[in-house]
Amino acid sequence: MSIPGPVVLSVRGVSKAFGAVQALRDVSVDCRAGEIHAVVGENGSGKSTLLGIASGLVAPDEGTIEINGRARRHGTPAEARSLGLGMAYQTYSQVLGLSVAENLLLAMPRDVRPRYGDAEEWATARLAEFKLSVPVGALAGALSLAERQLLEVVKALLARPKVLLLDEPTTALGPTEIEQLHGLVVAQSRSGVGIVYVSHRLPEVLGIADRITVLRDGISQGTFDAATMTEDALVAHMIGRPLQLAFPDRRVAAEEAETVLRVSALQGDRFGPIDLVLRKGEILGIAGAEGNGQVQFLRALAGVERATGSTSCNGHELDTSSPVGPLKAGVVLLSGDRARESLFPVLSVRANTTIQVLRRLGRVGVVRRRRERRTVDGLAQRLHIRMTSIEQPVQSLSGGNQQKVALTRPFLRGDVKVILAEEPTQGVDVGARFDIYDALRAKTREGVAAIVKSSDPLELAGLCDRVVVMSRGRIVQELRGDELGERRIVEAIVGSGAAPRPSSSEGTAQ
Amino acid sequence: MKLRAWVPLALMTTLIVALGTYAAVGQSAFLTPYNLRNLLLMTLPIALVAIGQTNALLVGGFDVSVAGLMTMCVVTASYTMQPGTSWLALIPGALALIGVGATTGIFNATLIWVLRLPSIIATLGTLSILQGASLLLRDHPEGTINSDVVNALNTSVGFVPYAFIGVAVLVVLGDLWLYRTRSGLALRAVGLDATSSRRLGMGTGRIVFLAFFACSLMASVAGFYLAAEVQIGSPVIGNQALESIAAAVLGGASLAGGKGSFVGTLLAALFLSLIGNVLPLFQEPTEYALMTIGGLILLALVLYQAPELLARFRASRAGAWRPRPRGGEAPAA
Repeated sequence: MSIPGPVVLSVRGVSKAFGAVQALRDVSVDCRAGEIHAVVGENGSGKSTLLGIASGLVAPDEGTIEINGRARRHGTPAEARSLGLGMAYQTYSQVLGLSVAENLLLAMPRDVRPRYGDAEEWATARLAEFKLSVPVGALAGALSLAERQLLEVVKALLARPKVLLLDEPTTALGPTEIEQLHGLVVAQSRSGVGIVYVSHRLPEVLGIADRITVLRDGISQGTFDAATMTEDALVAHMIGRPLQLAFPDRRVAAEEAETVLRVSALQGDRFGPIDLVLRKGEILGIAGAEGNGQVQFLRALAGVERATGSTSCNGHELDTSSPVGPLKAGVVLLSGDRARESLFPVLSVRANTTIQVLRRLGRVGVVRRRRERRTVDGLAQRLHIRMTSIEQPVQSLSGGNQQKVALTRPFLRGDVKVILAEEPTQGVDVGARFDIYDALRAKTREGVAAIVKSSDPLELAGLCDRVVVMSRGRIVQELRGDELGERRIVEAIVGSGAAPRPSSSEGTAQ
Repeated sequence: MKLRAWVPLALMTTLIVALGTYAAVGQSAFLTPYNLRNLLLMTLPIALVAIGQTNALLVGGFDVSVAGLMTMCVVTASYTMQPGTSWLALIPGALALIGVGATTGIFNATLIWVLRLPSIIATLGTLSILQGASLLLRDHPEGTINSDVVNALNTSVGFVPYAFIGVAVLVVLGDLWLYRTRSGLALRAVGLDATSSRRLGMGTGRIVFLAFFACSLMASVAGFYLAAEVQIGSPVIGNQALESIAAAVLGGASLAGGKGSFVGTLLAALFLSLIGNVLPLFQEPTEYALMTIGGLILLALVLYQAPELLARFRASRAGAWRPRPRGGEAPAA
């Protein structure tokens, strides 16, 4: 593809253990100038640890790192940056209480740093170069997740790195933004920057990478020429066995099934008016380019976002003025922001699972621990939650397993009518994804209905019975039956005129 | 600085002017050069230590050892700055106080950054050590402070002590540094989000270290003025720790870190000593002063958060309940 240049990042024989867990074992990876080198692997396979070590945030137990031909000595992010390494973190490295311009200023090494007074002007000019239109004076916390993710990459590039590490750079991006990002990444590699691209989205990786290194359980499974690889082959290396079944069987479409949720003229800050009918046992997908009101619509149904209009559940009016009404009616939200909004990260799997139903597990106000354990153990087995014990804090589980813990709650409540899932598999590895799909499908077989908001068209196509595409806050297309395919969904998103919004301060309602 | 940051400054100025006017109208003794000079001199120790405390609060920590450190400085001064000491010997005597401050600062900063202890626990330990050491040196108030030193510290132009002018200049420069330079920005960034700051390539350890070092150093300077005030080697520890935190918070500092103003801190320190100065003039017991200060801190905290509280109130009226602003739905600033 490109002419191999000099090695700009060389990681040799790196090992790292966190307590008893060996995160990396003797891993060696290098990246040449002008190359896009993808690193893939399931969650927990050591990808993020590898990037953390390369960027100086994590100290390796063994091994050496050379950046741009020079050995690293202290192992701090500042040193790595000065040697020419740029890093875009998965969970971002932005101080949310500071403005975009201030964040960019702090990220710059001395030689390209503007004076404080010139920061906003400088930032505006730099962001324009990268065709990223975000208001530089706005707080980073006021940007959408997609904007923050693009900003994270641009921020790393502004320091003019020789090698750029990207950790899951597209998790919050819609198809159009992914294209924008990939255009940027390819342009950078053409101009001689070495790029290490970590992602769990294999089609993306295959589409952009020159070489691919596969990690499994902290051990390198080898580095392959991307042109010779297929998705199936990569998956086989990642999980050690060929992936047989990606999605659970759909149920037979039941057009005449009774209506569970009826939405009439629902309108909020960034969406509406929306009319929608959800039937018993159905999984409805919501697609669209990021920032077109999908999240807000879903959250309005759960009473977390302000909206006008009416919603009824099983024929009864649903009070969406607060989360209490939907919760009582059996409409539950699985937030996309698991760590902050749905789980108690420091509490155990057990506590997180049973927190909403403790009353049922106890007698005269005292929880019967044995019964609680039995319940949680059963669910953990059913959902294949990988953990050492149910007393393990949720924050020590991988993303996929955390999501499964959040999913246990609708299973414990017998009265759930509707599950609202926001990006249910974001940051979740391949193996765990199927368990989550299977769990959702299993609930719908019991008569529960689900709405899944996802930025992954493949997931929507495989999982859902019906998909609606949203653009500028409204439903512009509905796909069902044979129309349901990744390609059709992407076409509907791209064809719906949902171009990237000019700036975050402009709403997309109406 | 954003508009929000000016609220504490405006509130403190208003309160000072209001209380000052009230006192001037009601009591002829208030607006005398003697009383005003006294007021400013009383402000100095608390202002100096609160400025130091603001550094600690900015990086998201507390330093409760400052009270012990100031007492230690007074006790040290009662040995190194005794009456009759020659000027030549007073220089190392003064340096001894600064040395106590620097040592304490390095000790605290090491506990907090290297050993990763929570700052409130670490400095609580230091407070206890300093308290014990002070009592070891002076088990009861003893040892007068050199009156030349006291006079030198209190030198004034008109009713304004030179030191107060110095502090006023210092806080203005401090705020310009904090809000108009990259290194000031870095300090605030570390307080707002230490993890992101580290990822951004900042030397977060060095910044936290320097903030606590500066805090102790300022407390030892405050120790000079406390010594000039009590004029005897008293091992009794005051409540400067809480007062300094109160002043910083009234001046706009956030307990969560990353926000604060040195000018605001000075104004708040001035306001706190004004309360202490005015109430005795009206023959009101000082207990009221304590209660007033407590009430004002609560009031200020509510007021400073008024924009958020108001937004939440409006949202709940309109029928939306939001746990917190979240990426993508928070209004653009």
